[in-house]
Amino acid sequence: MRTPIAFYLMLSGILFMLGTVGVLTRKNALLIFMSVELQLNAVNLALVAFSRLHDDLTGQVLAFFSMVVAAAEVVVGLAIIVAIYRRRRSVDVDDVRELRW
Amino acid sequence: MVSQPNAALWVIPALPLATAVVNLFWGRRLGRWAGWVASASVIVSFAVSLAVVSQLVAKPADDRLFLQHLFDWISVGRFVVGMDLRVDSVSATMILVITGIGALIHVYAIGYMAGDPRYGRFFSYMNLFVFFMLMLVLGANYLVLYLGWEGVGLCSYLLIGFWSEVPANAEAAKKAFITTRIGDTLMLIGLALIVSRFGTLDFEVVFGTAGTVLTKDAATAIALLLFAGAIGKSAQVPLHVWLPDAMAGPTPVSALIHAATMVTAGVYLVVRSHVLFELSGVALTVVLVVGVVTAVYAATCAIAQQDIKRVLAYSTISQLGFMFMAAGMRAYGVAMFFLVAHAFYKALLFLGAGSVIHGMHDEQDLRQMGGLRRLMPITFVAFAVGALAQAGIPPLVGFFAKDAVLEVAQHTGREVVYVLGGFAAFLSAFYLGRMVYLTFFGEPRSDRARQAHEAPPVMWAPLVILAFGVATAEWLNLTPEGRLTGFLESITGVSPAGHGLAVVELAVVATTISIVALALTWWIYGSGRVDWRGFRERLEPWPRAALNGWYVDRAYDTVVIQPAKAGAWITAYVVDARIIDGAVNAIGGGVKLLADGGRLLQTGFVRSYALAVFLGAVAILVYVGVRS
Repeated sequence: MRTPIAFYLMLSGILFMLGTVGVLTRKNALLIFMSVELQLNAVNLALVAFSRLHDDLTGQVLAFFSMVVAAAEVVVGLAIIVAIYRRRRSVDVDDVRELRW
Repeated sequence: MVSQPNAALWVIPALPLATAVVNLFWGRRLGRWAGWVASASVIVSFAVSLAVVSQLVAKPADDRLFLQHLFDWISVGRFVVGMDLRVDSVSATMILVITGIGALIHVYAIGYMAGDPRYGRFFSYMNLFVFFMLMLVLGANYLVLYLGWEGVGLCSYLLIGFWSEVPANAEAAKKAFITTRIGDTLMLIGLALIVSRFGTLDFEVVFGTAGTVLTKDAATAIALLLFAGAIGKSAQVPLHVWLPDAMAGPTPVSALIHAATMVTAGVYLVVRSHVLFELSGVALTVVLVVGVVTAVYAATCAIAQQDIKRVLAYSTISQLGFMFMAAGMRAYGVAMFFLVAHAFYKALLFLGAGSVIHGMHDEQDLRQMGGLRRLMPITFVAFAVGALAQAGIPPLVGFFAKDAVLEVAQHTGREVVYVLGGFAAFLSAFYLGRMVYLTFFGEPRSDRARQAHEAPPVMWAPLVILAFGVATAEWLNLTPEGRLTGFLESITGVSPAGHGLAVVELAVVATTISIVALALTWWIYGSGRVDWRGFRERLEPWPRAALNGWYVDRAYDTVVIQPAKAGAWITAYVVDARIIDGAVNAIGGGVKLLADGGRLLQTGFVRSYALAVFLGAVAILVYVGVRS
């Protein structure tokens, strides 16, 4: 018996909300980053679930793409965070606010 | 006519071009040799021209044509313009004049320009001029002619302003270039008309089919546009104002470009295109009127000039008027004969004047001269030969040339032209006599005149050769049917004949006019019995007006230049600065205001951006959900 699709979607939604709250409330750049990854994986889960439901591999392929993009994003993002840390010995995103008028 | 290929034609213009390049890049290293290199190339070019022309003369009269196709210059669809050279009797005459007299002037310039810091550059420009002038007369279609036409204009500009350290010289160069530009532009429109009617610019096709292709009105339009170019280049009224100022250039330049060759390009153009002018008829009348007006007008100006070169400049304008007079009466052969004769004696007069200026240490004012015949005997004799030739004393060449023009006028029943032409001839003998007596006779009127010295041999040798040429040039046309005009007939047609006073009577009248004028000048300026300065003052304001060319320049300044400047001021400081810049600045300012407002949205907090992204995503989802 297959697990109903609704369970997967609920899990995906919960993970996504956790990620969103993490992004919006945390001040530490690394934690925000991890939260973003959580959001991405929530979406991947939904994609794979739908893929299985419809017996269509497109969803899985899309999930792979999203992982590759996420990996690339991690490389760039972590590099930025490391650079910021080296400069100011802190990764608090509220301190980094020069880019405004 | 069957065209004959001749592989040697390209050599004639190529030689001066090659040495122009050599002198441009290595002129400084060549030092004093630059002048000899330049002269040698023109002399060799003259020799080649002689060889080509002697081949041409050896052929039967109706078969005298050499063509050479160098390469396709422009090829667009069916419109093809070749770099084609052509020698027929008219261009043969022209290339001999250009290279022959040009060579003498080059040699003369070796002495005249000695010690100039840009000696090599000068000869480079001179050679380049000879190249373009040869292209002008050798071209077998209007585009090659136009290439030469613009090229000689460029060289004229470069050489008038050669001593550009003096702002007045640079001004004169600009004036010459811009004034002739007016005519050139109209001429270019004429060429465009020819292309639109004939689909080609080739002389052979255009003149061969003009009778069937062109309506009378189209022929008039084309002929008048071409003549506008000729007016500019040959300094005819109303575009004559540049030539007197062009005397700012070194004297060999004045002799070569502004007397012997370039300014006659307009006459060449009219003679070359005479088929179109005859189709129109009206255009010929215009040519005649412009010629007569110019001949008389410029002669009156020449009388009052104080600068020896400006006398000659106005004299050149007047003589060019005579050539157009002849062309306007369909006597194209006579016009060409006049052109050749004028090239001889006007080059001689200019070189003589240059020798005087050189000997007087750059003094050009007639009032400062006097008594130079004892100090500069060779220059004096040569100059006198030139002056007598132009004044029309038989048996010198100028007499035959001018007499031929007046004879055509009288014999074709144009009494007004005959009388005005005779009057202009009287004036020309008068200003020449005045110039000769003021320069060479009487007592020296300044220290410079007392310390003047004869020119070096490299300068007086060309003078002597030219004087000899002037003295013998009447041989060119001395036979009853006219040796030169007969040679030209295959292209120009026979000069119109008619009935009127006998040739001998006309000759007596013309000679009398010249002798009376010379005697009158001797009495006023030579005999010492008349106080000519006081005489001049009593005649004021007429001499002053004539000195200033009857204020044509001032009229142009008021009517054309000042309004143009005012218009330019308005476009620059009102239209451009206020309206155009205003619109651009307003757009920029508006965007800036918008951006100033927009950047207040930026907080710099990463998390507020994240929240905005999140809310945006929610909003889109809600919108999509509500819609479906």
